[in-house]
Amino acid sequence: MKKAQIIGVGCTKFGNILTSPELKDKTFQEIVAEAAFEAMDDAQIPPEKIDVFYVGNMLSNTTQMYSHATVLADWLGLRLKGGYHFDTACSTTNTGLGIAAQSILSGKYKNVLVVAGEITSSCPKGVNPLEREAISPTTLWKWTDFGMDHVYGYHHFYDVASAYGAFTTIAYMKRNKLSFEEMDKIMMEVNRAVRKHASMNPKAITYERGSLEQEARKEGFSSVEDYWKSPKNPFFAWPARLFSALNSADGATAIVVSGEAKKYTKKLPIDIAGFDWRTSNFPWGDEKVYPYPQDTLAFKTAYQMAGIKPSDIDYLYVHDCMQIYQLVLSEVAGYFPKGTAWKAVLDGRTMYDGDKPLNISGGRHGGGHAFDASAGMEIYEIVKQMRGEAGKKQMKKPLRVAVQHNHGYGMHTAVTVFKKGK
Amino acid sequence: MEPIAKKWYDNLAKGKIMGIKCKDCGAYTFPPLTVCRECRSRNLKEVKMSGEGELVMYSSTMLPSAKFADLGKKAYGLIKLKEGPVFFTRIDGVKYNTPDEIRKGNEILPVKVKAKIEKVKGMNIVVFEKK
Ligand SMILES: [Zn+2]
Repeated sequence: MKKAQIIGVGCTKFGNILTSPELKDKTFQEIVAEAAFEAMDDAQIPPEKIDVFYVGNMLSNTTQMYSHATVLADWLGLRLKGGYHFDTACSTTNTGLGIAAQSILSGKYKNVLVVAGEITSSCPKGVNPLEREAISPTTLWKWTDFGMDHVYGYHHFYDVASAYGAFTTIAYMKRNKLSFEEMDKIMMEVNRAVRKHASMNPKAITYERGSLEQEARKEGFSSVEDYWKSPKNPFFAWPARLFSALNSADGATAIVVSGEAKKYTKKLPIDIAGFDWRTSNFPWGDEKVYPYPQDTLAFKTAYQMAGIKPSDIDYLYVHDCMQIYQLVLSEVAGYFPKGTAWKAVLDGRTMYDGDKPLNISGGRHGGGHAFDASAGMEIYEIVKQMRGEAGKKQMKKPLRVAVQHNHGYGMHTAVTVFKKGK
Repeated sequence: MEPIAKKWYDNLAKGKIMGIKCKDCGAYTFPPLTVCRECRSRNLKEVKMSGEGELVMYSSTMLPSAKFADLGKKAYGLIKLKEGPVFFTRIDGVKYNTPDEIRKGNEILPVKVKAKIEKVKGMNIVVFEKK
């Protein structure tokens, strides 16, 4: 049976294109090429053998680019190849895996490059690509919020922090009869795991800041608890604190998907065994807004396609723009029984060396959130883990089946099932 | 097809809060769309909304969205309308100046809220007030 397999992955440093040494002085074209070349080199595939490439990018305001594939063709060494721009916001690179799989399984293409880049920190001064100026969080979100309903929703005092972070947390507290103090402690432990994992990932945006413990000490706090409850970590929207939210980043990621893996690399190919996508207009829903019904549907349908049950999953990544979703969605995914994910976190089971590893790339806070490119960092982690190339962060348990979920603002759900290939 | 959003906002200017009711499945959609949000039907009728609902939860934010940034912090809530749909907007009559006020305010929910029309930044919109 024909298979679509991941044979190469690439990921730049996630940081700030104005200040991070790894990104500084590069154009958007160059950071995208850097990720693409790493993936092609990893796959040992020459550019001539790439049939088609799909480019993700959301913030055209900061890249000043449309029809990205056309603009990037020469920079990627893919002139005269097929390609197009696509975008499902923060789930884009995850969605790209399914698109690549369709392209290969249909028989039309043999080798596909999925690549995405995002710049969230700055935009060109005027139209000068070499001079960028920082943008404020308010401006970033003004552009980002074009991802949700702008006929009615936005104009009704829309607030993403309440709608996506606070309400989800309140709903989780209510559902599981947790007090605010208990919930706050749980979210601190989630963040502690996020920062620990990111401190082991040199490409992560918080890598240089170390673990939460190390940062607490550096900031002069005698305990993580004191640091967590300090003015350094205010309520973004009660009960969600600032450290439970994403850190926006600049960066690029790439994946090579092939129908003829053996021709190129001796490394273990990873099967794209199942995928599913679901859409809905944020911020509305039915009574069961938190969690969203579309997530349940996407997990179920992707599992069916891959022929797996939740108990087969060895590693799960769920979208964590707001870290509360680690708890909510790992339960929706069936990775934990309903109402128990928080206990697994408190018991340390979700760490890379635990029996139920969860989001060990560092996620959207630790790894950093470069919107369309971010899911690529999470795919990168899965591929490296499955191949046994994750170094000191290598999972202790065997990894045969992994599942990745992402939300694209708002709200696109993408779920992909990965299996260790042959 | 008649313009939908313009008509809805024009109606707000006249003091009327309208929604749509599906002639096939009976579900309400608010604010009006081109279809029934529940069953996808285009067989719809325009109806006046009661303006009544329950506040399910609310919070405030460090970073109000760009359009409203100069108005300062507000309370934002999730409202379950009497007719069924869920709506997100500003909530008046609840306390939100400190985390503790938001916490205590949420502990007594759900409470009844009532819609009102207000002109904000040149647009008439629907906000809700705790009774
Ligand atoms: Zn209907």
